[in-house]
Amino acid sequence: MTMTSPFSVRGRRALVVMRDERDISILRRQLGRLGMIVAECDPAELLPRDESHEIIIVDADAIPIRSDTAPAWKTSAPIIALIGTETPSRLKWLLDLQPASFLVKPLRSAGLYTALVVAFDSALRKKDAAAHVERLEDRIRSRRIVFAAVLQIMRGHALSETEAFVLIRQTAMRHRTTIEQLSAEIIAAGGMPNRTPRTA
Amino acid sequence: MKKPSIPLGLVFSQSGPYAMMGRQMQTSALMAVDEINESDDFDFTFAPHLRDPGGVVAAYHTACADLIREERVDHICGCYTSASRKQVIPIVERTERLLWHPARYEGFESSDNVIYVGAAPNHTVVPLVRHMLDEISSEVFCAGSNYVWTWETNRVLREIVSSAGGRVIAERLLELGDTAVDHIVSEIIDRRPPVVFNTLVGESSYVFVRALHEATTRAGLTIPMLSCSLCEPELKLIGSAASIGCITSSAYFESIDIPENRAFVARWRKRYGSHSSPSVDGQSTYVCIMLLARAIRRAGSVEVTAVRRAAANHRYDSPQGPIWVDPDNNHCFLTPRLARSVRGCQFEIFWEADAPERPDPYLSNLDLAAIGTGPQKSNDAMNKSKHLRIVK
Repeated sequence: MTMTSPFSVRGRRALVVMRDERDISILRRQLGRLGMIVAECDPAELLPRDESHEIIIVDADAIPIRSDTAPAWKTSAPIIALIGTETPSRLKWLLDLQPASFLVKPLRSAGLYTALVVAFDSALRKKDAAAHVERLEDRIRSRRIVFAAVLQIMRGHALSETEAFVLIRQTAMRHRTTIEQLSAEIIAAGGMPNRTPRTA
Repeated sequence: MKKPSIPLGLVFSQSGPYAMMGRQMQTSALMAVDEINESDDFDFTFAPHLRDPGGVVAAYHTACADLIREERVDHICGCYTSASRKQVIPIVERTERLLWHPARYEGFESSDNVIYVGAAPNHTVVPLVRHMLDEISSEVFCAGSNYVWTWETNRVLREIVSSAGGRVIAERLLELGDTAVDHIVSEIIDRRPPVVFNTLVGESSYVFVRALHEATTRAGLTIPMLSCSLCEPELKLIGSAASIGCITSSAYFESIDIPENRAFVARWRKRYGSHSSPSVDGQSTYVCIMLLARAIRRAGSVEVTAVRRAAANHRYDSPQGPIWVDPDNNHCFLTPRLARSVRGCQFEIFWEADAPERPDPYLSNLDLAAIGTGPQKSNDAMNKSKHLRIVK
């Protein structure tokens, strides 16, 4: 998927999950003005299997609180919640949906674009954050490998732990690879592998 | 000399799922209008304009828009459900009108253009749960209708009960209007909870109360039932035998023994027949119109800002006792009461606060530690709590 600016909404696909005709017509008109493609779905129905929509706008008051419908709402598209009732019991259900932004009733033409931009931006940030966490988790997983490689170099070259780590780091930099990747190669080769730099 | 006439919008559903309440409320509003129109205490009359949204949520918006545009009303009394009130709020806010709202509701709202005359959650669910913890049990079975009133009432109950170290044994919800109650009744008979909290509404509630009464009688069990909404006309619909023994929290019961209420009930009976009973929502609608009339008289104008200012802190000795609007949140100071339903489809009041309580629509002053005393400390709590007064 290409990285789209959160400010550009033209051509993006929105799914409107509402029942109130007045709200739906305001959204249809306003999303149309923004050049978005609009699909509609009744709150009592399950979300369409087709996952092509890029944002979901849902009337938080129109969906009954039932635990069996909650999993159906686990979607990758960001959700904008239209809120009327502010009771904690209703808001708790809303939090489970992890809305990316929200609108407050009565729905007006103003505010929708901001809600869209905030939702698209927050979806991007969420995706970036998830990728970052995955990288960090990879590194935590490979710590065991790095530690084993440091031990190997300490023994093979009679170095202290710090010196062994510096050697691995410098070699990795010279070979333009990561410490984790070089560590895996050290363990596989039983010592510092003989390799020429990939670039001249 | 003919008194000037003030147009007044009345929006109550005369058909649809809660028509019984809507009819009661409209009837009560018209009784108040007649009393004001015939009284020398007011130098104006009300000209009521009736609208019937038929229980259709979207129709409330249309009805109010029409009243404001066509009948030029500044003040509207009406709505019963929260869904209908939320339809009306945008239009009264946009056009700077006032909605006088009679029904109790779940709270978490405070519009400058609504006067909330019904009870706030601190007036209804909180004293009821406190009584349950102190006198009955900290373990409770909840049966309710699947909508915002039940969700929120049960949430508050759960919060207070958990803080007191008790638990909600189960929470069973029925769709609005659903009368398939048998599975809930069998579960209650199987599990024998110490108490049942009933937030079902309308026909679902009547069928449930009858079925549970029959099942517990057959099984030789006594399980107390709690409610925040049952009223005298509903006891009649349930039937005299099954309706006995339900502990109910409300700001109004027909049996309140003060001169204002005795006179109100007498006037009501004269008008609607000796077997007729005013309900909490009917009485509250009557109070709405009276508060409005008094505020207009005090302001010398129907203009919304002036009326709102005049209504603030202006005490009215109503059938339910002294009541006044708290300008902080536009809800009312009123007196919470607990009663037990008895033979003859009436309520016997056994507790009331000794003064009207400040409304707390967001429950921001709810002190869980003070309520969560648990049954073992009940006597202590009753002694310490200065606003608990046994009246019977």
